[in-house]
Amino acid sequence: MNQTEVSKDYSISTPLSSDRWMTGITMGFLLAVLTFFMLYPVYDICRLSFYKEGVFTLKNYVAYFNNPRIFRSLTNSVYVSMVTMVITTVLAFFFAYGLTRTTIGGKGIFYTISTFPLIAPSIIQGLALILLFGRNGLVTRYFLQTDWNIYGATGIVVAECLYCFPNALFILYTTLSAVDTRLDEAAQSLGASALKTFYKVTLPSAKYGIASAAALVFNLTITDFGVPVVIGGNYNVLATEIYQQVIGMQRFDLGATISVILLIPSVGAFLLNYYLTKKSYALISGQARPFLQPSRPFKKWAFTIYCWIPCTFILIVFASVFLGSFVKTWPYDFSLTLKHYDFPSLGGHAPLWTNFWTYVLKGEWQSLIAYKYAPIWNSLWISILVAIGGASLTLLTGYIVEKKRPKGDQVLYTLSVLPAAIPGTVMGLGYILAFNKPYFFIYGTFWIIIINIIICNFTLGVLASIANLKQIDKSIEEAAVSLGANPVTTFTRVVFPLTKAAFFSNMAFFFMRSMTTISAVIFLISARVKLAAIEIIFLDIDGRTASANAMCTIIIVIVVGMLAVMRLITGKAGLRGMSASN
Amino acid sequence: MGRNLRLENLTKQFGTLVAVDHVNLEIEEGEFICFLGPSGCGKTTILRMITGFETVTGGKIIFDGKVINNLIPQKREFGIVFQSYALFPNMTVEENIAFGLKVRKMPKKAIVERVDQMLHLIGLRDWRNLYPAQLSGGQQQRVALVRALAPNPQVLLLDEPLSALDAKIRVRLRAEVKRLQQELKKTMIYVTHDQEEALSIADRVVVMEVGQFRQVGKPIDIYKYPASSFVADFVGTSNFFKGYRTGDRVNTGKRDFKVAQSGSISKEEVFLAIRPEKIEVFKFGEPPGHLEPSNLISGRIDVVTFLGAAVRLVINTDGDEVISDVIEKDFEQRQLKQGDETLLYFPPEAFIVYPAKEGS
Repeated sequence: MNQTEVSKDYSISTPLSSDRWMTGITMGFLLAVLTFFMLYPVYDICRLSFYKEGVFTLKNYVAYFNNPRIFRSLTNSVYVSMVTMVITTVLAFFFAYGLTRTTIGGKGIFYTISTFPLIAPSIIQGLALILLFGRNGLVTRYFLQTDWNIYGATGIVVAECLYCFPNALFILYTTLSAVDTRLDEAAQSLGASALKTFYKVTLPSAKYGIASAAALVFNLTITDFGVPVVIGGNYNVLATEIYQQVIGMQRFDLGATISVILLIPSVGAFLLNYYLTKKSYALISGQARPFLQPSRPFKKWAFTIYCWIPCTFILIVFASVFLGSFVKTWPYDFSLTLKHYDFPSLGGHAPLWTNFWTYVLKGEWQSLIAYKYAPIWNSLWISILVAIGGASLTLLTGYIVEKKRPKGDQVLYTLSVLPAAIPGTVMGLGYILAFNKPYFFIYGTFWIIIINIIICNFTLGVLASIANLKQIDKSIEEAAVSLGANPVTTFTRVVFPLTKAAFFSNMAFFFMRSMTTISAVIFLISARVKLAAIEIIFLDIDGRTASANAMCTIIIVIVVGMLAVMRLITGKAGLRGMSASN
Repeated sequence: MGRNLRLENLTKQFGTLVAVDHVNLEIEEGEFICFLGPSGCGKTTILRMITGFETVTGGKIIFDGKVINNLIPQKREFGIVFQSYALFPNMTVEENIAFGLKVRKMPKKAIVERVDQMLHLIGLRDWRNLYPAQLSGGQQQRVALVRALAPNPQVLLLDEPLSALDAKIRVRLRAEVKRLQQELKKTMIYVTHDQEEALSIADRVVVMEVGQFRQVGKPIDIYKYPASSFVADFVGTSNFFKGYRTGDRVNTGKRDFKVAQSGSISKEEVFLAIRPEKIEVFKFGEPPGHLEPSNLISGRIDVVTFLGAAVRLVINTDGDEVISDVIEKDFEQRQLKQGDETLLYFPPEAFIVYPAKEGS
């Protein structure tokens, strides 16, 4: 054996590793951001709900359960969420089945239409249903001339079903296209009837996906604010009750208490969804699937008709809001007009934008563009910053968690997937409680809104980044390092270019969410900082439904425009995997 | 003394698992060393410790007189070639090779020259503007090789670089790596589980098992004089017999072989190993008379496998299987075929004797 004698005095090289401390600093920064902007507000809510003048008390909870009107918001929330969950999951399951297991035509069209609800604020479903089935609805008033209207639980359920449909569909589509169809074929070759195969093979093999989709729908519905606020009428749910108590009655303690109560089912549903999604992916086989057998004509027709039903509803929603923004007096006078786009003075002001247009324009145009359109400009500006900031932070977090794996990476991971569990209204209230302090200088500016939107949507961004980074071979990074590249060069020259596509799609996601989100930021807007999506609600509350439709249409146009630009940049678009929560 | 790389009591533990167990080795500048062993033996772990991607649990890695245990990979100036090529998919061949030079802030002109030189080395000049995905596996690995060589590393480390390629290309590239090494006189450390690759390419081979070095030596010595039955079995193919040695005879129960390596008069338990090509095969009834009669055994040919230049026979001798390689010409001359009764001759000097209770 080639033994060498033991060495004595060799100079020890410096153990300093720039990589190590850079990872440490980045992780420390991310942890600080998530702790301060997510955990701290939630902690403040819990504190307020349990403490009165520094003493622990359950008084708030006693007050909550003793007030039948407020208590009903809990049962109401659970009720509409359960009903929505069952209906949406069943509808989306068969839709996904049609897209993955049959040979119907027009799958691309069906898929695209079904993603439409993601590009608009959830409130659009409510607006459309009011246009069709409200007190002055096209169907109720004009065609049927009935006094029945859709306000209340029915309206919430229908609207939420439409809103949650694409989110459930994504999960079920992935599940059903991943489960091996050869199992079905094997069962049929063994003599099982089609129906029996479905019950005994298809359904059980998709069970985790189904349950995970159901949990997600439940979470989305119980945390949604936009739909119940416009179509709920007197039917109060938890998310709207928080807003009522805080903004309407200045009862922050009760608002906090309701928030904690809302946190329980929403966190539960989130954890369930998270756990089941993992289980569901574990079942996915990587094997290539054989060619799909042509479906029998009856099956084809049945599924084609079936798939058109939700698609038609979605198209009607968009068409009616779009149309509603251009007609004089829905549903009595259908002559076209642009007057609803001349928003009532919202008293808005946007930095740069207002100054610029007041300088350039005069008279009526000045007030329209410079002031009335200021919320839109604000939304756009904020969304761009959210897109850049959100995509960057989530990529960085994904990179640390997936590639660097320092000590404590699991803490960072847990913190970064947690935001999806926290309802937007809760987060919004938490921000008021935590940051509405004179020394907290960004409160009341649009920076707090930007941070809030990024944090609220952190989960999906991080999960998408991690999924993408997983595909990069570890050796590639090591190759760069061994060639002498420092951590920054390795990241900017090698890792980032390889994740560019995912980065852009994350940007699109954050932009979309920022343009359409309502629940959290409604607590954070101020007289000076107004947002387009929030204005929809105020316009609607003011009874200016047509202008609300117009604002909604503008948002959709901006989001679609951005998606088109993204498509040009990256060469591919796609809302896949962008299913949103609250 | 050149810039030697020395491993001193190098140890790596993952939890309770000892992946590398107090190994010592001195690698001379310009030497081609090959770590050979079954998967999980710790060879890649040693390589990763040398590169700096894995921390050292105990012992020292000393390069050019300095302990480099805690030096970050960037500062070690060692080139690495990965099994998965690890070319940057977003860069062309040229940009890939230039990467290490650019991060060293080399002047532009010098980079162009060096890249040219590297491309020339592997004969891929026309491919400079292609992306890795447009190249075959063999071409990609050649690019990866010169990418690692371009910054003129002190040592080049290759981690199973050819394992992902198909057999033909593997043999061709193997020769190319050897040629480059001889041309550039670069210290190379090569990890593989393919014994044929190790023997054909290295100046010295380190055979590893469970985190320890079993034998370090020239390929020919390792093949001809395996230090243990593990090495004899892992490197090449060997037939083994267990028995008791007294003097120059080994009794296996069924037979009584004469061996060249004689032992003490007292009985000791041993393993006999013999390479398949050392066994001579005759048609039954025609053995030349001068052979040692106790080393002649009869047997029936069970399986005939054509290997190309040689033919491998699996011969059943009284219930034991013996593997014998006969060169194709002899196989035809002697008109052997499956089912034939044969006589096998085990030359006494071809036996290697190991004590049954092996240390290392």
